[in-house]
Amino acid sequence: MSPLEPFRNEPLAELRRGTERARLDDALALLDARLPLRVPVWVGTDRREGDALPSTDPGAPDRVVALAARATTGDVDAAVAAARGAFPAWAATPVNERADALVGAAAWMRGRRAELAALCVRECGKPWAEADADVAEAIDFFEYYARGAIALAKRPPQLVQVPGERNTLRYAPRGVCAVIAPWNFPLAIPAGMVAAALATGNTAVLKPAEQAPGCGLMVVEALRAGGVPAGALALLPGEGDAGAALAEHPDVTTIAFTGSGAVGLGLLRAAAAKPPRAGSLTRVVAEMGGKNCVLVDADADLDDAVPAIVHSAFAYAGQKCSAASRVLVHEAAADALLERLAGAVEVLPVGQPSEHGTVAGPVIEREAQERVARYAALAADTGRVVTTRAAPAGGWFAPPTVVTDLPADHPVLHDEIFGPVLAVEAVRDLDEAMDRVDALPFALTGGLFARNPRTIERVTARSPVGNLYVNRGITGAMVGRQPFGGNRLSGTGTKAGGPDYLLQFVEPRVVTENTMRHGLVVD
Amino acid sequence: MPGAAPPPETEVVAIGREIAAALPAPGRHPVQAIDTRAMDLTSRDAELKAALFRFVDVVPACRSVDDLAAHLVGFLGEVDSQTPPLRAAMKMGDSRAGRAALGTAAAAGVKHMARRFIVAEDPGAARRTLRRLWRDGTSASVDLLGEATVTTAEADRYAARCGEALDALTAIYGDVPARPRLERDGVGALPRANLSVKVSALTPLLKPDAPAMGQRDAAPRLRELLRHARDTGAHLHVDMESYDSREAITDLVIDVLSEDEFRDGPSAGMVLQAYLRDGGELLDRVLAWSAAHERTPPLTIRLVKGAYWDHEFVEARQHGWEPPVWEHKAESDRSFEALTLRLLDARPAVRVAIASHNLRSVAHAIAANRASGGDDAGLELQVLRGLGDDLGHALAQLGHRVRVYCPVGDLVAGMAYLVRRLLENTSNESFLAEQARGAALDDLLAAP
Repeated sequence: MSPLEPFRNEPLAELRRGTERARLDDALALLDARLPLRVPVWVGTDRREGDALPSTDPGAPDRVVALAARATTGDVDAAVAAARGAFPAWAATPVNERADALVGAAAWMRGRRAELAALCVRECGKPWAEADADVAEAIDFFEYYARGAIALAKRPPQLVQVPGERNTLRYAPRGVCAVIAPWNFPLAIPAGMVAAALATGNTAVLKPAEQAPGCGLMVVEALRAGGVPAGALALLPGEGDAGAALAEHPDVTTIAFTGSGAVGLGLLRAAAAKPPRAGSLTRVVAEMGGKNCVLVDADADLDDAVPAIVHSAFAYAGQKCSAASRVLVHEAAADALLERLAGAVEVLPVGQPSEHGTVAGPVIEREAQERVARYAALAADTGRVVTTRAAPAGGWFAPPTVVTDLPADHPVLHDEIFGPVLAVEAVRDLDEAMDRVDALPFALTGGLFARNPRTIERVTARSPVGNLYVNRGITGAMVGRQPFGGNRLSGTGTKAGGPDYLLQFVEPRVVTENTMRHGLVVD
Repeated sequence: MPGAAPPPETEVVAIGREIAAALPAPGRHPVQAIDTRAMDLTSRDAELKAALFRFVDVVPACRSVDDLAAHLVGFLGEVDSQTPPLRAAMKMGDSRAGRAALGTAAAAGVKHMARRFIVAEDPGAARRTLRRLWRDGTSASVDLLGEATVTTAEADRYAARCGEALDALTAIYGDVPARPRLERDGVGALPRANLSVKVSALTPLLKPDAPAMGQRDAAPRLRELLRHARDTGAHLHVDMESYDSREAITDLVIDVLSEDEFRDGPSAGMVLQAYLRDGGELLDRVLAWSAAHERTPPLTIRLVKGAYWDHEFVEARQHGWEPPVWEHKAESDRSFEALTLRLLDARPAVRVAIASHNLRSVAHAIAANRASGGDDAGLELQVLRGLGDDLGHALAQLGHRVRVYCPVGDLVAGMAYLVRRLLENTSNESFLAEQARGAALDDLLAAP
């Protein structure tokens, strides 16, 4: 195979063209006719189907999207054993061949862009633009890590050399990687974590979110179709118990996790406490929650800031790790911003994700709907609800809500709600805003609307977040362009879609060879 | 696609030379000469240009003279080549007194620049300018600048301002002296009052991925304005904006004007952007519609090159899309001429307005109009206030029917417009910039 072209992001669907929208509508109709999908426990070539774990359409919960088998602890053992068995051969497979498998998986998905986006719409309630971006990002991860793995193998960092010795650094895969994925980017995130493990020569076991087994299956289908050997990648649809059993399995050397802080911290603890027979320290790559703040200075252009904030807070009903949940605005701009923000939320398209133009669809499940309602009620008790929308009937809709005048210790200002609630606070100046950001345990994304270059410099220097966005929305990180991930309690500081990510999946080995024999230097 | 025959090149060049000869000699407007030189200077230094544009953009959001100076110093600090005047300005930023002087001077400079492009704060205040233009033989189309519309209240407010503008324009033109050339073409009477409106300001719901949504929301406000225009006898022109809103605007105009209520008026128009690769297809659609829906007076189509080129190109590149605009200026210029010929040929089913500051494009349209047997007064030519004043004046003197597009609004509302116009003026490929640098007339008039 010829060398790979330099990485380039998969173009998003140009939804402003009617022909593109019609293509997606057609794909959705075709998908609907095929539902429910069957999702097996898939270990090696063994597919065990079942229907214990159904996934439903958050916009119309009566619609069953997928019927999945539920993985047992026996399945977990079998999957890890298979992955362990396949590890030596896959690790020894030349990196170019492993990369080709990822590129093949990308091609498989590229040929099914509309169909996969439709599945995201149905299974996770993603509006079209977000669903399409999810597929494109999955493709990006395959392509990006394929190239990254080759670079890591072929161009490792150079060591200091002196006459008479040869020092080399190489990266070896770590073994079996457990991938525990979330539902909010049901294709992209599992695809990215699994691809990083496989590209570097690890084998992987994927436990997709119980809300999105159908999407998880598509990731495994793509990689198997691309050429990943059956043993090297297993699919374990299941719930939290399966994930825990997988993560605690002694033969798992790496855990790649994206999800809630509580689960992530639990995984870190469990990994540290693993019995010694495990034979290695378990590394945990964890991307967890956020409480993302957008700072708005007095000189901000509200024409830009208002739509960007509304989109960051309410697109996909606020269910992105990167979503905005607090706005800290300079008091000079606060009234104008609040008025325009409220007006903009009043016309926010809320509805079924399958309708073009919908920005805020349903939340993922009843429990999420109830959680959002709880926080909205808490905000109404102590603060002021600036605006709230009536939620459509039928699905797990949560009303987009803007609140203000909350006391500094209010839970709405501190907890990750993971839903369409935005709190606005007026501050004396940006220093006060930065103090409040600094007081948070999270540091995932942040935003700044300001035009004085010196202000931008000042905030940039002090901001703790993993991804700071200046004068734009704070969601929509692109592979290779905005390596994504948080600091503090938001994550382990690894950056998905960035140049350092693959280093989490390898162990460095240095070889120093004495090249001098009896005064003769052999180079 | 059928179209009028291309005019003889010799004729295009002769007309171009005639217009060039009628342009005022350099130096006749001392203030404008200063502006022109300043723009030329900044257009050579991309960094300084960027710094000054960003400053112009932020002026309305600055809370004090001190704040203004702090921003200016902030932007200038990002310019790599610190020339002595730049260093002097930076140094002024170190003291409160220095900032006061710097901020005051900068605010005055921006205000002066804005006045060149923005006629007045509101239509009533534009009275003197509009009446003077009329007396001098040019009509106008007034455009109300405003903040972006993100709420229903803002959409309602903009629609109300448009309604008031229609009344103000009717009053302004009520007792001006008759100017037959401006008031009638081959089809019939031309309204004196003429208002351009933006659909993006008529609805907060203009979504690229759901054009029907914005269309639905804007339609009632547009209908109300059309009724108002019909009642006051004014012309209502719907501007075209970025490609994101193209489908919604096109569908909105065509659907609403198809309604029985508007069969016999008001005079209304839309815009065709020559820089779009699919401009010809849009024209196909509009012409097919005009053929099927005869209305009096016929739809006016204003042909422009298009004002969002940088936005379209950058946005497409960021998303990995094929840009909807022609990449090279010559391609847009050729498209402009091809569309000119088709539009002229489509008369009288449509009325045609050619809006360009490109001497070649204008001369080509005039020549094509004559070649097709039309007289000069039968063709409307449009220029922008502040950018095309000299050209408009020269064309009017030569007996052409000229309309000046006149933005009206306050400084805050007008900044985005102002920056776009400045960009156009100093862009390297801009016709005006080339002209200001003294490019040979023959080169400027050569076929694209």
